[in-house]
Amino acid sequence: MRRIAFIALVLAGPLCAADPEPHWSLQPRSHPTIPANRSPAFAIRNPIDAFILAGLAKEGLTLAPEADRATLIRRVTFDLIGLPPSPIEMEAFQNDPSPNAYEQLVDRLLASHHYGEKWGRYWLDVVRYSETEGFEYDRHRSGAWRYRDYVIDAFNRDKPYDRFVLEQLAGDEIDATNEELHIAAGFNRLGPVRRNAGNQELAFSRNEVMTEMADATGAVFLGLTVACARCHDHKFDGITLDDYYCFQSFWAATQEHDIVRASPAEQAAWKAKTDKIQAEIKKAQKASAAATGDARDQLEAKTKELEATLPPPLAAVCTVRNVAKERTPVHVLKRGNTDKKGRAVGPKLLGIGFVEKASELPADAANPRTTLATAIVQPDNPLTARVMVNRVWQGHFGSGIVNTANDFGVNGGRPSHLELLDWLANEFVASGWSIKQVHRLIMVSSTYRQASPHPAMQAASAKDPDNRLLWQFPRRRLTAEDVRDSILMLAGQLNLACGGPSVVVPVDGDLVKLLYAPSQWAVTTNREEHDRRSVYLLAKRNLRLPFMEAFDQPDAATSCSRRESSTHALQALELLNGTLANNLANAFAARLKREATGPDSQIDLAFRLAASRPPTARERELAVEFLRTRPLREFALAMFNLNAFLYVN
Amino acid sequence: MHRIMPRNRREFLTDAFGGFGALALTSFLAEQADAADPLATKKPHFPAKARSVIFLYMAGGPSHLDTFDPKPLLNKLNGQPRPAEFGEAKYQFVPKGAKLLGSARKFTKHGRSGIDVSDLFPHTAKCIDDLAVVRSCYCDKVVHSAAQYELFSGRVTPGFPSVGSWIVYGLGSESQSLPSYMVMPDPHGALEGGQPMYANGFLPAVYQPTMLGGGPRPIRNLDLPPGIKPEDRQKTVKLIRDLNEAAGDVDDELAARIRSYELAFKMQTEAPELFDLANEKQETLDLYGIGTKPTDDYGRRCLLARRFVEKGVRFIVVVSGGGAGNMQWDAHKDIEENHKRMAGQTDKPVAGLLTDLKRRGLLDSTLVLWGGEFGRSPEAQDGVGRDHHNLGFTMWLAGGGIKGGRSVGATDAIGLKAVEDPYHVRDIHTTILHQLGLDQEKLTFPHLGRRERLTLVEGKVIKQIV
Repeated sequence: MRRIAFIALVLAGPLCAADPEPHWSLQPRSHPTIPANRSPAFAIRNPIDAFILAGLAKEGLTLAPEADRATLIRRVTFDLIGLPPSPIEMEAFQNDPSPNAYEQLVDRLLASHHYGEKWGRYWLDVVRYSETEGFEYDRHRSGAWRYRDYVIDAFNRDKPYDRFVLEQLAGDEIDATNEELHIAAGFNRLGPVRRNAGNQELAFSRNEVMTEMADATGAVFLGLTVACARCHDHKFDGITLDDYYCFQSFWAATQEHDIVRASPAEQAAWKAKTDKIQAEIKKAQKASAAATGDARDQLEAKTKELEATLPPPLAAVCTVRNVAKERTPVHVLKRGNTDKKGRAVGPKLLGIGFVEKASELPADAANPRTTLATAIVQPDNPLTARVMVNRVWQGHFGSGIVNTANDFGVNGGRPSHLELLDWLANEFVASGWSIKQVHRLIMVSSTYRQASPHPAMQAASAKDPDNRLLWQFPRRRLTAEDVRDSILMLAGQLNLACGGPSVVVPVDGDLVKLLYAPSQWAVTTNREEHDRRSVYLLAKRNLRLPFMEAFDQPDAATSCSRRESSTHALQALELLNGTLANNLANAFAARLKREATGPDSQIDLAFRLAASRPPTARERELAVEFLRTRPLREFALAMFNLNAFLYVN
Repeated sequence: MHRIMPRNRREFLTDAFGGFGALALTSFLAEQADAADPLATKKPHFPAKARSVIFLYMAGGPSHLDTFDPKPLLNKLNGQPRPAEFGEAKYQFVPKGAKLLGSARKFTKHGRSGIDVSDLFPHTAKCIDDLAVVRSCYCDKVVHSAAQYELFSGRVTPGFPSVGSWIVYGLGSESQSLPSYMVMPDPHGALEGGQPMYANGFLPAVYQPTMLGGGPRPIRNLDLPPGIKPEDRQKTVKLIRDLNEAAGDVDDELAARIRSYELAFKMQTEAPELFDLANEKQETLDLYGIGTKPTDDYGRRCLLARRFVEKGVRFIVVVSGGGAGNMQWDAHKDIEENHKRMAGQTDKPVAGLLTDLKRRGLLDSTLVLWGGEFGRSPEAQDGVGRDHHNLGFTMWLAGGGIKGGRSVGATDAIGLKAVEDPYHVRDIHTTILHQLGLDQEKLTFPHLGRRERLTLVEGKVIKQIV
């Protein structure tokens, strides 16, 4: 049975040297001819529409008509900043007579600081950003949040993507005196790390760390699942076991580096305080080991209290550096087993995915990660630009032109519009790798502006059930962050402060008890900070907020290329009975009372805020009827639960 | 057979919404909700023997040498270094050349099957003819967190779905008022692997475990906020549904969302009764050791596990051990003190659960698994303790079509390595899937370029016990 399956896989078209035709994603980008418009009913605003209409025409389909302005401003605002538009912004846009009103809206939002908070979050998913190490101790990495701010800032400043890649892979090599570059290179530290007491499995653990760095680089920048080749030659893509360990060698000398930002005096004071408390903890632990029953419980409680008084770690930058004398001799490992060493290898680019078939470098080659990053961002690298424009496309349409955003290999999805992908990637590189330029191209198109649902949805759906050809705008549910941030905003409570150390909000005590040490969840004392945007909340591997988890926030254990969007009763319970929803329903009701008089105008305002439109006659009727007997805060709570709020059309 | 027969989805919907009176959904909507419902009951790949699984997780790693795997030679060699012919083992703490430690426990043959069980488990021993004792388990890691991830997900790193999530993904839910995958942690505190070990990994959030807290209402968000009466909140739920329907264009996904509110409301209504043990007979409470000191807590959680099975919950974990190492089965310092205490808390509840399931006719369709993430070292640590040990240890299975009264496999004469019919924890996973009618090679999910599955690329059914 298994043998048959294996043979079938091999026959499915392995990408090996014997294969005459390279896989589509490894071929150079084409410079496609833009199709002529044969359906004059639709405005071709830019070549995106030409490509999409050509695809639709083959199936006898058309675009949906343009969405109305209320729908558009809600869509564009959520897409770019992850928040709903305000009623004032809506009114201004709807009444704007300028022929460029829409383009100006897009530009205004692209210039908003909140743009980076939304699009930086997508990037943080892909790089599995977390501020803790996971595993048993789930240690907090001091200053890890600076990487999050670096990413947000890079998106906001539209840092050229080639530079963005270079800084993250090799910032420390480029300029060791530049703090921002060190922070960027913290990318190499984002994977989980296992530490344990007692006998260490040094070779195994080190191999795990290098594996994390290499695999992430393959998936994030190249859309290649190099991890498969860790144990065997890649069954699908032309990556051999040998290739894999050569690739891993780029990180052979890469070691953790924490740059403490405190003065020597501050460091000494910190050490003195920490040592004193640690000594007391040791004493209590010793006594507890000898005690029994209640006495032991008390001593354990005391230990925990003491732990909670430990000073927070000193401010630091969490990054990496090359340490020549600690360089790991990398060998080809049979079946990925550190006990089965094959030949010793040096850094070499993968056999696929690069223009230059570079030869293997000496193991001690200088600045290895710069070498790698430079090859990744060569303008004619077949993968880099395609992979990134596809991520941007996915952010707007829910699904990429290639619907496996981290896998452009043989096993990944085929592009629905290869020529469009190439055209976009060409534009991206030609614009100086400007991500904002890709947003503009996409959002200005008629394809992006079409309505949802299509008036002839049934017929279109029969021909293309997954809407791969984009005959209507794909509706999407708000992400976990969108939901929380928007509810805070409706309640008038969202704290829009930017950047800085992460915020720890209160959670159920039962969850804190499941941590290695309860002191790891030190709730931020300033209450106003609790209402910050979700991207600024502590990203801790061993404790995700249940609210965020219920709405599919990923676990940061592995790269998340696309969020799931599931629907289940625990989401309903969060929004009906959860503390957050209920507290904010009170605040939302108070705001409605403050800003509008009488049920009619309160209902009107609530719909404009939550659904970015006035209520229909039927909705108004139902709400008025409800408010005859029930309080406004219950109506406010209902608004958080409406599909008209939770989905973007 | 289940006492409460699971009904099909359609019957349930009619029922539930009929019960709501004004909240009745149209059958059209119900049909659409079914199509998009990731928890809709799915057919197994082949006929199933088990419908639910209860994992009695002995966290920290109970000693096989002092429970189910007697080693007379180990007692004889007490205080001597390990003879070279037994080979090498890596421990987390115990250094090379440490002295062997015999077991102070007395083993007796029990039941018709005459399987050896130590005097730590007098109650469980009475159920021995229902147990399949696997004495040749092994796993890849000798430290807690990695071994715990492997025990639950088959991988030594976090981020992969646990066996519970896989099973709900494969079979859907049969419970109309409860989450399908529940974990009851030990109230004493955390385990090394933390919450990620139970988690859904890259599977959609709908397959996540529900972690039960302490207190009378352990499921999160089932309590109404203070001052809100259920009948009033029901009006809000009705408003939500009416407004959602009024907005029009109810497709599969939106229908599923509307239905999720009806389920949420049902969970909320039924939970208080479910968690109130007052309506159990005193005899039943006594059977589990509820109301008596060391057994009360674990007994309560075992009884809840039975109730969850009755409600159609698929996968339930009842954790024994939490907090500092010695509060788990992690007996580094003193195997006697630790194991007497831990066994004292759990033996009676475990036997009570098996007995109760059996007399209610539930054991046939409920697979019970007992064990930890590894066993303990034949060598002494700190004189009278034992270190972690992954090369050979014992787990047992019962019910759900498992053949009881058998022991399978063996470790060597000092309990160091599984030498006869060794079974990796992945083989335990494969066997569980098999009893549930799931084929390990068909239960897959695409992730980062691979069709991932619970059992990596291997895993065999333990044929002797199915």
